[in-house]
Amino acid sequence: MGNSKHLGLYMLAPAFLFVIVFFLTPVLLTGVFGFTNMSTATGITGGSYMVSQSSMQALKDRHDLSEIAKKLSQVIYTIDEEGLNAAAQEGVDAGTLAELKAGFLGQSFQKRRAVERAIKSLDNRPSSTRAIKKLSALFERSVLNIRYDTEVDLFAAIDKFGLPLSVAEKTAMSDVTYTGWVFTTDNFKRMISLPDTMTTLINTLFYVFVTLIVFNTGFALVLAISTHYMDAASAGFFRSVWLLPRITPPVLYVLMWKWLAWDTGFLSTVLGPLGFEPRNWMLDTPANAWTFIILINGMVGASMGMLIFSSAIKAIPSSLFYASEVDGANRMQQVRHIILPQLRFPILFITSYQTLSLLTSFEYILLATEGGPGGATEVWALTTYLKALSNYAGALEYGYGAALALVLVVVGVFLSILYLKLFDFKTLTAPPKIE
Amino acid sequence: MSGNYRKWPMILFLGFMTTPIILMYVYLFLDTVTNSPPGSMIPNEFTTEHWRFLWETIPGRPSIWAATWNTLLFATSTTLIVLVVSSAAGYALSRLNMPARSFFLGSIMVLHAFPTVTLLIAIFLILQMVGLYNTLIGVILVKASLELPFGIWIMKGFYDTVPWEIEMAGIQDGASRFQVWTKLVLPQVKPAIMALGIFSFLAGWSEFILPLVLAPDNKVQVLSVYLAALIADDNNFDMALFKSVGVFYVVPVIILFVFFQNKLMNIYSGGNKG
Amino acid sequence: MRILLDNFTKSFGKLTVIDQMNLEIHDGEMIALLGGSGCGKSTTLFAICGIHKVNGGRILFGDKDVTNITSQERNVGVVFQSFALYPHMTVEQNIGFPLKLRKEPVEQIKRKVHEIAEMVHIEVLLHRRPGELSGGQQQRVALARALVRRPDVLLLDEPLANLDATLRLEMRSEIRRIQQETGITAVLVTHDQVEAMSMCDRIAIMDEGKIVQITEPRDMYVNPVSDFVAGFLGSPPIAFLEGRIEDGKFVEPSTGVHMPLSADVATANNGREVRVGIRPEYFQPGNGAMIKGRVSFIEAQGRETLYNVMLPDGNILRSIQGSHSPVKIGDDVEWGVDTAHILIFGQDGLRI
Repeated sequence: MGNSKHLGLYMLAPAFLFVIVFFLTPVLLTGVFGFTNMSTATGITGGSYMVSQSSMQALKDRHDLSEIAKKLSQVIYTIDEEGLNAAAQEGVDAGTLAELKAGFLGQSFQKRRAVERAIKSLDNRPSSTRAIKKLSALFERSVLNIRYDTEVDLFAAIDKFGLPLSVAEKTAMSDVTYTGWVFTTDNFKRMISLPDTMTTLINTLFYVFVTLIVFNTGFALVLAISTHYMDAASAGFFRSVWLLPRITPPVLYVLMWKWLAWDTGFLSTVLGPLGFEPRNWMLDTPANAWTFIILINGMVGASMGMLIFSSAIKAIPSSLFYASEVDGANRMQQVRHIILPQLRFPILFITSYQTLSLLTSFEYILLATEGGPGGATEVWALTTYLKALSNYAGALEYGYGAALALVLVVVGVFLSILYLKLFDFKTLTAPPKIE
Repeated sequence: MSGNYRKWPMILFLGFMTTPIILMYVYLFLDTVTNSPPGSMIPNEFTTEHWRFLWETIPGRPSIWAATWNTLLFATSTTLIVLVVSSAAGYALSRLNMPARSFFLGSIMVLHAFPTVTLLIAIFLILQMVGLYNTLIGVILVKASLELPFGIWIMKGFYDTVPWEIEMAGIQDGASRFQVWTKLVLPQVKPAIMALGIFSFLAGWSEFILPLVLAPDNKVQVLSVYLAALIADDNNFDMALFKSVGVFYVVPVIILFVFFQNKLMNIYSGGNKG
Repeated sequence: MRILLDNFTKSFGKLTVIDQMNLEIHDGEMIALLGGSGCGKSTTLFAICGIHKVNGGRILFGDKDVTNITSQERNVGVVFQSFALYPHMTVEQNIGFPLKLRKEPVEQIKRKVHEIAEMVHIEVLLHRRPGELSGGQQQRVALARALVRRPDVLLLDEPLANLDATLRLEMRSEIRRIQQETGITAVLVTHDQVEAMSMCDRIAIMDEGKIVQITEPRDMYVNPVSDFVAGFLGSPPIAFLEGRIEDGKFVEPSTGVHMPLSADVATANNGREVRVGIRPEYFQPGNGAMIKGRVSFIEAQGRETLYNVMLPDGNILRSIQGSHSPVKIGDDVEWGVDTAHILIFGQDGLRI
């Protein structure tokens, strides 16, 4: 079956293409972008070169070229062909221009008044002061706040401006005037130096472990075991209800929690007569915010464990239950000695996979508290999102966000490969039986 | 289960734990067609005013029908891509000899476990660069790609359960491997394709983050982003309206859930994203 | 069509399952590949039909070398153990599938399907689906599907293993009838010696990837080449005693049991350590060489009764007797061995 070899590759090709473009490329590019200063200011494609107040400040600070910076920040007046031509176009008297050209071509003046004086000194000078001012304006030369596509253009302009630069100065110049993104390790330095990073890290670990232990495995076990001890109809009912949070679209699901918690919502209304002030229960204190975050995520997470544990319990031969009952086990003993040992592997499985997904998910937190109050519920993945993609903050720091995301990507790759080793890859890759 | 233990303590206990969920869902539906006096949770009148968004567009928002159409387009397109691509790739991985087969299998497993949201920033920038930002096509391609490892993995699992002898018989009967796949094996995994299809559709219908980041524009807005924007708008607080839009949004989900509950439970317990 | 395996070798990774096997199957013959699990019989079958590629040697159908051509081009019909009917197709579609793949005209397919259905007696089932059929009916459909395109050879992989006992008996003769009616060359893979003996013209008995003996069923039963073959064939199975040939007699040293042997065998092998095999039908009251023992087990099989007789050293001899005798468990008996029919094997297991 020589052709089946190629058939396999053909059938895999579309998947391969999709995965490369939207999966592997993003993984690699996260790595690349993490080492750039990309932001809304730098744009995401190439940049241009521009002498600006801030770039001149940088030239002073970083390269100690304050003289050049000062000069470039100024406006000068140069009598050149370009200005003369422009003046001719404007209809300035040809005699005036000829005289100006003969007397001053190539000269530069630092001050407007100086160039005006020069014009006034001409025999054929314009009659009105306004005309003089207008003519002198045509010789105004500046490189400030003009975008140049390449550094060659920039240097040419600076040259023309009358400030020939040395090679070293040119390097410094192109460094500070480039408006596009550049490669840098600053993101990681910043990540380490910011105290917020540590807070976020602690938040993340707290969120992951509490949700995981209390709900995704703990309460999931409770659900699976208690529905096991019910008749089929009740068990089916409870399982369906607990699947609802997972089925409900996140936006709507969190809206229902907001209804519960908002200051005109259910809790405030019900607790009002008991003397509690109406308030936004979800956002009034960090402790409350965390409680809601963990409940919101946990109720979604519990259903997954419930389903997997339930099917594991169903796989236990019923003769084992009968035997243990005949042997006199009460319910707790049966759970302890018959059910739990069989669930060891599923528990490991759920714990592993949900660690990774909790670590990186932020959808529900974003919808519920957006990290509030005051950043108290900001986890790593949410920070990543807020820094790089949230529209409210205005300036989006793609580079820094990518650096934060890179940490998660690395953790994700590491854990996924670990799980691959953990969950018996070999049995899943038995060779085909038709050769 | 056997009759040796009483059931009612379990039912009572879970019933207590489940009350908040039931309460939230009951009020979700109730509040869309009733009004309650301030400070009370007991409705005192029936109304359809919360559903007015269906016939009059809310100021500053796209029409609900445009958003619905976008969502439908988004969910069905991703579903189709996922189904076609993963049923082919899953079969190749499950049954066909090819170079580096175990490498591909390993990669799919790793990708399957890999948390896709971490790639959001890079994907956002890529779409900007190739000009697919703020287009439905862009976000459809991304969503489908991110669903693929799961789909391929599920399909591979289902193909693994089809008896080898069926395929051997097909080959003996003179069918090529491709014919074996289309004529003999695909019909056997129809339920799986159905289940994966429903799953993908629901995943697409519910997706929030990707359209929010990659296609937030009014013209291409989907219902999840529409609803989130409505809720986030501080000038326009109207819980009953939010809930009505939410119910409108969730109806297809509930219908699919009711009809295909068992299929969905199977596929959810087969997957591991949570 | 004649099938020839010429130095056929098959390995999976480093493990060589079949090493340089030679087998010739005559045109129109039904041959059994008989052996325990892991003996290589299924591997051989999969190589003949092309699902496994061979690692060495050739496979010939008639004079055509098919070693490197695909299953699809080989024209082999296979009946699998699980029947492998396509569950989403009706019986008619199942049987017609091979013809449809060849793009034969619809009318012709219909006619051929009906012909073959008539032959295997499933005309009335054509519109059902496999799920609605009994095991025996599924078996017939599988046969029909394998035969409908007139294959060069019919391969049967444990075809009766999934049937219950009565059906098995019925299908045994049915398969043989259909094979004889069509005159097709057939290979039956089985671990059940009764199936092999009752259905086939010849049996090739396999052990550890090798054909140990190949001959007609009766001949194999009477003249096994080794104690392995002797032990494999016959139910209830043959019993063995270990001992030595001394002075024209076989002697078991621990019990002193002895029985005379034919002169030529005895003189040629005097002093040699041997195993003798005694089939239950040749250990009977009233036979020649008497052996004493105690009845340890009685199994009434209806028409016949099986007795296990334990010798003083713990060895067991089996006796199958047509008439029911009043012997009870624990009784001491002294029955005789028909020494003309005992089988003598050397220490290497080969027949002397």
